[in-house]
Amino acid sequence: MRHALILLGVLMAGMGLSVEAGLLGPLGEQVGHLSATLSIFMVGALLLSLALVFAPKRQLGALFKQPRWLLTGGILGPVYVIVLTLATPLVGVGMTMVGILCGQVAASVAIDHFGWLGSEQRKVDGYRIGALAMILAALWLM
Amino acid sequence: MLLPLIFILLLVGGAVLAAQSSINGRLGAKAGVIESSWLTFVIGAVLTFLLMFFFEPAQQATLFSVPKWQLTGALFGVVYMLAIVFAVPRVGTAAATVAVISGQLLMSLLIDHFGWLSNAVRPLDASRYIAMALLIGAIGLIYLSHQQRHRRLASQPS
Repeated sequence: MRHALILLGVLMAGMGLSVEAGLLGPLGEQVGHLSATLSIFMVGALLLSLALVFAPKRQLGALFKQPRWLLTGGILGPVYVIVLTLATPLVGVGMTMVGILCGQVAASVAIDHFGWLGSEQRKVDGYRIGALAMILAALWLM
Repeated sequence: MLLPLIFILLLVGGAVLAAQSSINGRLGAKAGVIESSWLTFVIGAVLTFLLMFFFEPAQQATLFSVPKWQLTGALFGVVYMLAIVFAVPRVGTAAATVAVISGQLLMSLLIDHFGWLSNAVRPLDASRYIAMALLIGAIGLIYLSHQQRHRRLASQPS
């Protein structure tokens, strides 16, 4: 039950992400894609800084006791943006999204299956293959 | 020659997103959800600022001159990051990714259907309804996969 609620929450967060993309695209056309992306990261960083100041318990110190590679998540976001801005004018939005989504889904299943990046191992099973097939079919239909 | 290269680049871009979810989820489990999300946004802001500062061609409009509602995207970005950092250690990278993608695609169908955010209206037709059903089905299957794994783990005492 708790699992279902978490999935629902992530589903809604994903819906929000589409709204973000819908806002970001036109904004990027007007002020430049890097500036538009900067607005997301900057406002997000400032909001979360506030949240951190008022959070009931803070463990900022623990952040910097982790191995360095665990701190690289923030580098990957801009990498994604650069790929997106390079590819979209060349192959169009549709193709770009299909490529990104395929890479994303395949990598996420592989990460779980092999337990990469220190994640708990979750083997590929029939249900997961079915889910992948349904996403690909949905992409093709859209 | 260029096209396959771009497609590989795009696959890498997607893989990078999955890796980011995984890394951030792990960091969040060790150092806290808000802390991990905060670090991601701060590093992202620093890097994009440098990139913008040196590489962005000059534009007519700036972030300070566009209507403010266009700058609200970050709110959704923050909610997304918090949700991912919270969810990944609990449900795994693949389940979280499938849920995010389904949410994105469902919402883009709705945005098209109603023409929200000043987009052209593209009403739902039969194939898009089927696409929606498939996305919901995909989430259902990921949930079933979890249930079965749960039963398996419960039945074999460690």
